[in-house]
Amino acid sequence: MPAPIDHAAAARTDYDVLVVGSGVSGAIIARSLSERGLHVLIIEAGPGEELSIAEYDTYLTRFYGAAAKDNNSAYEVNPNAPMPRSPDVRRLQAGHPDSTSYLIQNGPYEMDSTYTRVLGGTTMHWEGKAMRMLPEDFEMRTRFGQGRDWPIAYGDLEPYYQQAERELGVSADVADQTFYGITFPPDYVFPMHSLPQSYLDTVLARDLDGTVVQLEDTACTVLVRPTAQARNSIPNPAYDGGKGYVPVGAVSTHQVDQGDRCQGNINCVPLCPVQAKYSARKTLSLGVRTGRVDILTQTVASQVHVGADGQVSHVDYQAYGSTTSPEHVTGSLRARTYVLAANPVENARLLLASGLPSSSGLVGRNLMDHAYLLTWGLLPEVAGTMRGSQCTSGIEDLRSGDFRSRHAAMRISIHNDGWSWPMGSPYTDLVELVDDANAYGSALRRRVADRISRQLMLSFMIDLPPEPSNRITVDGRFVDALGNLRPVISYSMSDYVMDAVAASRRVSRQLFRRLGAEDRTHYDPLDPGFVSHQGEGYVIRGGNHWSGTHVMGTASHDSVVDSHQRSWDHRNLYLVGSGSMPSIGTSNTTLTLAALSFRTADRIVSEMTARPSVTIEG
Amino acid sequence: MSLRRIATVEDLHQYLYVAMQLEHATIPPYLTALYSMHPQANADAYRVIRVVAVEEMLHLTLAANLLNAVGGAPDLSADGFVPAYPAHLPDGEDDFEVGTRAFSPDTIETFLKIERPGVAGGDESRFVSRDRSARSLVPTVDAHENDLHFFSIGEFYAEIGEGLERLHGEMGDDLFCGDPARQVGPAYYYSGGAAIVEVTDAASAAAAMRIISEQGEGMGGGIFDEEGELAHYYRFEQLLLGRYYQPGDSAGSPSGPALDVDWDAVYPVVPDSALDLYTEPGELQDAVLAFSRAYGDFLTRLTEAFNGRPDLLLPAVVDMFHIRDLASQIIRNPMPGRPGVNAAPVFRGLARVEVA
Repeated sequence: MPAPIDHAAAARTDYDVLVVGSGVSGAIIARSLSERGLHVLIIEAGPGEELSIAEYDTYLTRFYGAAAKDNNSAYEVNPNAPMPRSPDVRRLQAGHPDSTSYLIQNGPYEMDSTYTRVLGGTTMHWEGKAMRMLPEDFEMRTRFGQGRDWPIAYGDLEPYYQQAERELGVSADVADQTFYGITFPPDYVFPMHSLPQSYLDTVLARDLDGTVVQLEDTACTVLVRPTAQARNSIPNPAYDGGKGYVPVGAVSTHQVDQGDRCQGNINCVPLCPVQAKYSARKTLSLGVRTGRVDILTQTVASQVHVGADGQVSHVDYQAYGSTTSPEHVTGSLRARTYVLAANPVENARLLLASGLPSSSGLVGRNLMDHAYLLTWGLLPEVAGTMRGSQCTSGIEDLRSGDFRSRHAAMRISIHNDGWSWPMGSPYTDLVELVDDANAYGSALRRRVADRISRQLMLSFMIDLPPEPSNRITVDGRFVDALGNLRPVISYSMSDYVMDAVAASRRVSRQLFRRLGAEDRTHYDPLDPGFVSHQGEGYVIRGGNHWSGTHVMGTASHDSVVDSHQRSWDHRNLYLVGSGSMPSIGTSNTTLTLAALSFRTADRIVSEMTARPSVTIEG
Repeated sequence: MSLRRIATVEDLHQYLYVAMQLEHATIPPYLTALYSMHPQANADAYRVIRVVAVEEMLHLTLAANLLNAVGGAPDLSADGFVPAYPAHLPDGEDDFEVGTRAFSPDTIETFLKIERPGVAGGDESRFVSRDRSARSLVPTVDAHENDLHFFSIGEFYAEIGEGLERLHGEMGDDLFCGDPARQVGPAYYYSGGAAIVEVTDAASAAAAMRIISEQGEGMGGGIFDEEGELAHYYRFEQLLLGRYYQPGDSAGSPSGPALDVDWDAVYPVVPDSALDLYTEPGELQDAVLAFSRAYGDFLTRLTEAFNGRPDLLLPAVVDMFHIRDLASQIIRNPMPGRPGVNAAPVFRGLARVEVA
């Protein structure tokens, strides 16, 4: 449970580091620093009273009872620390921004991505894919003339990927994950063995393996592969030189021990009912156990102050007692080093609201997220859809190659949850069969099963390079319940991305043909995210992989942070998370940002312990 | 069946088989109490009982590992493995009754008795003389004279511990002649709480025995054990006292957060449900028979798993979901002709039918 500390006591305490945000980045940095003797305060804007199973179960209960089961449906509406919710997104009329929900949509593209403002951050709704980026993803400018290069290479990050895989508890087998330049040290194994592939995966592998897909001049040979996932599986006894790995179970304060491995529940997003999936609460609880991490929830960082020396001097906060009232108290918190780990949108929003756009002017710019094209069909045979965790396999073979100089790369996920994402299955199937088909009783049960267990959904996760015009800004006209400036998003899809969208649709048609699947994909021009390209229309969904708003680089004039995520302008300030990433390739961002967090923690420790004035406790 | 003081490996096999019966016998009472709660009600109590039930499954698996380690062959599908409830457990001069009953303060009192076995004064008082009970889960011991009973479950386990030591002293490591491939390890069993132990020698056997016999009450009567784990007795006591224990507390005085219990949000399931309560053909009988068939299949699967196929514990997890769902369906239904009483599952396999 978060240490029993109040704001007055926190304001009096001489912390080494103040971390804003309790998601995966903030949690890893706090735990890592505290284990090496530093004293850390985490402030979290959202609620979260204790790291208990009981609290977690209240989220589950709210999710089970919610009519619309979107990513954030497990969490109460909280005007004091609002978060984007995908059902809020509406189709924009050209030239008319939509300010009706927290995220102000300036268009032209309507973004339905979300993040989560509760204790544990967006790992409280993430799906759990834990994939490394390809080495070529770090050299997009050099290799393909697109986007930006990273100031570090895959090899620099590799040891930190290993730490991230331990922290998140990744289940995978090295042989499956060695592809397109990804390398592992000799004898490396993942903490846990790969999760079993679903029956649906095996049906697709049977019909699709070996299919050749042509992307520009690159011939890609399809192979259905198991996906690396941060959910508990069978521990690998060979891990860590034969020491093995003990899976981290449910976070609990009253010894209501649950240490479950993945049971194949289908609602990984938002919440695993047995906490087999990693959430930052696991890391937070281990950090708190050091006795050197304090957490204040319902505490919004409202302003970052910089002194005459260019260093951050303090952070103002607003602490509210109830999510149903804007009443709050204000104060300031001080530490030697400050870490903003509030996710790319909130980090940028807070800096801009504090009048700190950085000397490069790039804070908030280069906003990225994966563009998702969903394609769906009906298989000619029952394939057991809705069994297994949400995704157990994917196709990695469209992620790499020279075609990336012409259009974006993509990665295909095979969805065990059928048409859930595009169509709202299975609930919509049930309603339709009852209301329109007048089915009931055993006939209804049979028809539901027949229909759902043949559903196929392939999602194409498309790379999106950084562009300065895709950005988060603030606007004095738009404030939340506590008076904080709300984020304004301006976002469009480049031809580089749209050509990959069109290619993805072609590939899906080819794969559906091979499978004998009836293509049921359709895109409604009235839906948010509808984009036309070369005469065809597509609905593009967000991936919740916000990135790029405080991009890292080699110089202060064209980046916001250095390769250690340290602000060029304010040397005691670190901006962490996927906001620092110069490219996102075709990997879900969490594992990479976790690796970056470990690298940054190392740097903070060496910076802070090098100074003679700092004493290391215990 | 009756036992004698452990003198041979065969004696030890018998004791360990009874240990598996004992560990299994606690699970249906715990699960019945668990499943009798209204959904969404009693979340705190649900979690407390659930974790103890899961740790009894750990004990069952540890007992199977011990039996396998000394060359035995666990059989959970044998006739008589599953007790008819109410069954009797020894507690000093008397037995106490253990049944499959709804969640209630009385039921929790029984659970406390299960988890805190009495300690006899010394080796001589390990046995007491009293009448045979056909329903006793611990057989009599006839080494010296008829109708001697173990003073308590604790004394029964003490006898196993001493027997193991004695036989190891006589035979050396030949005692642990079992095929290590029959051991269930952490690959196929983990659940939070204590970890599974693969038994291959005297030290690992002692470690497994320690978990089985001490997780209930805790080391030396303390409420937390060496690993900081709260003993089962005190986990249950929290339900009666309405408050969680936290480190530093002394027995009887938990000082953690309040724990909400609603004794009324419970389906009034028939105590000690048995198949002969469901003789009338119909949906309820079908459901009860389906449950028992599934439970029998589950015990068969466990038997295979404990006989060299530990990987079968993976599909056994799915069996357990199935068992829970079938039980929940039954418990929602009133008993025909018995107002205010709901049906309950019968945790035993159906009588075997010969198939040509």
